[in-house]
Amino acid sequence: MRERRSIIISALVTIAFAGVPFFLNVDTSYFAYYLFLSFCHIVIAQGWNFVAGYTGQISLCQNAFFGLGAYTTALIWLHDVTKTGYYFDPVVMVLSGLVPVILAVIIGIPLLSRLRGDYFALGTLGVQFIIQVLFLKGGAFTRGADGLHLPSTVFESMKPYYWTGLFLALFATAVVYFLIKSRAGLALRAIREDEISAAAHGIHVLKYKIFAFAVGAFLAGICGSLYAWYLFHINPDSVLNLNWLFYPILICVLGGNGTITGPIIGAFFITALFSLGTVYMAQTHPILSGALIIFVMKFMPTGLVGLKDRILSRG
Amino acid sequence: MGNHLLEVKGVDVLYGDVQVIWDVSIHVEEGTIVALVGANGAGKTTLLKTISGIIHAKRGEILFSGKSLTRLKPQEVVDIGISHVPEGRRLFSNLTVLENLKLGAYPSRARPLFAESLERAFSLFPVLKARKGQKAGSLSGGERQMLAIARAIMAHPDILMLDEPSLGLSPIFVKTIFELIYALNKQKVTILLVEQNIHQALKIAYQAYVLKTGKIAISGGGDELLADPEVQKAYIGERWSKR
Amino acid sequence: MLEYLTFGLITQLFVNGILFGTMYGIAAIGLSLIFGTMRIIFLAQGAMIVFFAYISYWLFTLLGVDPYLSLIFVVPLSLLLGSGFYSSLFKEAAALEDKNISLLIAIGLMFLVENLMTVVWTANPRSILTTYSSFVFRPIGIIIPFTRLIALLMAVLSASGVLLFLKKTLIGMAVRAASEDMESATLMGINPHWVNVVAFSIGIGLAGIAGVGLATIYSFDPMYGFIFAIKALIALAFGGMGNVFGALLGGIILGLLESWASFFIGAGWADAVSYAVFLIMLMLKPEGLFVRSVQTA
Repeated sequence: MRERRSIIISALVTIAFAGVPFFLNVDTSYFAYYLFLSFCHIVIAQGWNFVAGYTGQISLCQNAFFGLGAYTTALIWLHDVTKTGYYFDPVVMVLSGLVPVILAVIIGIPLLSRLRGDYFALGTLGVQFIIQVLFLKGGAFTRGADGLHLPSTVFESMKPYYWTGLFLALFATAVVYFLIKSRAGLALRAIREDEISAAAHGIHVLKYKIFAFAVGAFLAGICGSLYAWYLFHINPDSVLNLNWLFYPILICVLGGNGTITGPIIGAFFITALFSLGTVYMAQTHPILSGALIIFVMKFMPTGLVGLKDRILSRG
Repeated sequence: MGNHLLEVKGVDVLYGDVQVIWDVSIHVEEGTIVALVGANGAGKTTLLKTISGIIHAKRGEILFSGKSLTRLKPQEVVDIGISHVPEGRRLFSNLTVLENLKLGAYPSRARPLFAESLERAFSLFPVLKARKGQKAGSLSGGERQMLAIARAIMAHPDILMLDEPSLGLSPIFVKTIFELIYALNKQKVTILLVEQNIHQALKIAYQAYVLKTGKIAISGGGDELLADPEVQKAYIGERWSKR
Repeated sequence: MLEYLTFGLITQLFVNGILFGTMYGIAAIGLSLIFGTMRIIFLAQGAMIVFFAYISYWLFTLLGVDPYLSLIFVVPLSLLLGSGFYSSLFKEAAALEDKNISLLIAIGLMFLVENLMTVVWTANPRSILTTYSSFVFRPIGIIIPFTRLIALLMAVLSASGVLLFLKKTLIGMAVRAASEDMESATLMGINPHWVNVVAFSIGIGLAGIAGVGLATIYSFDPMYGFIFAIKALIALAFGGMGNVFGALLGGIILGLLESWASFFIGAGWADAVSYAVFLIMLMLKPEGLFVRSVQTA
């Protein structure tokens, strides 16, 4: 019954969002841009949520996956690999999602098999730094700090971006939702609770951890791909910067780690905070993020989603 | 009727949602040795941890000389006069024997008596004096157990709680440890002893409780229970019950 | 290229590496203390170091206080701030099972401090130039800048100080015991919050010293902190947790690695090399190179 109600609410909300471009001029509206950005944040946040919230592996390299996705898209275009020109192409997007997956598997095997908790987080942090340097020094291939430029003449309207963004946000949420409910999700939660016990029950811990890591990488990658389409100028500073590392964490933590709606609420909230911040208090808004994390962790460690439960249980 | 130094009354303990101790009550009289015996997983360690404050009871009371212990933190319980030698000893292996003993005397009640307590520890456990500059981790199993007990009495406790002191020790050391426990008691230290080595424990205990899946199954005097065929059969083994 | 590898050059690279590496080392000792007791990687350490570098800078620029003299003010300030931060931010979180909460608070603090500094003091790089800033010693042709030598001295002195504290005082012993087994330490009557606040304050105190050192040697800006924290972490990975001089040595090893790699393959790649070696260390010997671990009793 509750499930049916959630599905109806989600459908209504989605339809409402989908309808926005019919009421607003999405090309000029800041609000539409805010929504688009929120959708992007939802995608990458759900990815991190799956790895860190549900599986308990704090990973600190989602910006590397994001950046890889962006660069893959840009490179496919520039070298016309798929022979489709600069068309808004699902194939390119999927490929851009798969490249980070390859990286995730390659680094996941050594890191996840040997490192736990803090050490794993540090390992991913190191990986992300290495990726940054590699892209900076990538020579003619990645064009260093200046990066890759795509002709912005292809940009006609914001509408396809907006709807793709909405679709991806929905897709990411659905993927995480169904994975959680599947056998894989159960295994992952068992691993989070007690790895040794899970292994004793015959769960192939490493395989599942890598799977979760790869899913997170895929989602970050396709988000990067969308962003590359939008941004047209891909360089380390725009797609590999640490904001893409911290925002998903902030979003999940604030919204509620290990929940489905947490990252969604968190994404809208954080994006609003920072968008507004950039407009009204350009320099001070990052201070807010710091103060905000501290505040949330001290008083609401279960996030905004948990807050609702706490308020309800008091009433 | 002696003075109930420690009273555990109707205590329930849960690990998350799982209840592990059900309505347990025990008394420890001053100057006695009380043994808590039972099979693995019966809840003996949990009970000791609840008394020393590492775990909190969901229901029930724990009183020490009439004062309630139930909301206290472990370091406060030590201050009051209860020392707990945990299962597996948990020594500070990177610190020396002497440093472990110094830390044993950390509570403020124990510090002024440090020199005295150290003397006593070294006379009871001469091997520790010989090894005082060595790292605790380099000691043998029996020596570690001695250090663990010595460390606990450095705090000048009114009650000493020992969790499985004979675990993993060779039979000679087991004998030594129990002789030490007996000697300590003669020096007026009240002892609450958790043991799987039921025979030895019941031999020196004034009072004993048998814990079975979180509940008190039998209680009585040490020799009573030693002779009780129920206890014999269930825990000591067929060989003894044939006597 | 190899013909340039004269004895002088090799020694110079060594010296450079050692001199700067000790700064990473001090930061690493602080991290080690905090990790030992609170079991979190205090990522805000770098931001704190830069903060104290700024304090030293302003004392010099506005009041003409010599940076080394400013230690008299900075060290007590850092100890005070350390205990203040612990009591206000970390105390409750430290008692929780989920250490991620403390970690996230540390990250939040890092954001807060870094960005506060950027707003209040601007992102322009600062440096302290005193009469002796460019003074160098030249024993056997090797260049040893005065300020770096003093920084090395400060590092060695503070490391020794911390070691003495840990070995000779009762609280120091309690910190060591708690780092090994917190629960067992509470059974000795040791209050975990006491140990935590002491370790944390000393960690921030060391950040203060490193900050002054940094201010005298390099130019710095608010965002430098994060990279410094990462380098300190790498130093700690090399040296191993729970070992004061090990952490210092770890810093020196990192310094040497950077010095050599920068020379041969350039500064950008040198960073990548440091991170790569860090990763390899984490995977092969996560307990570090210098940990003399004794089996638990």
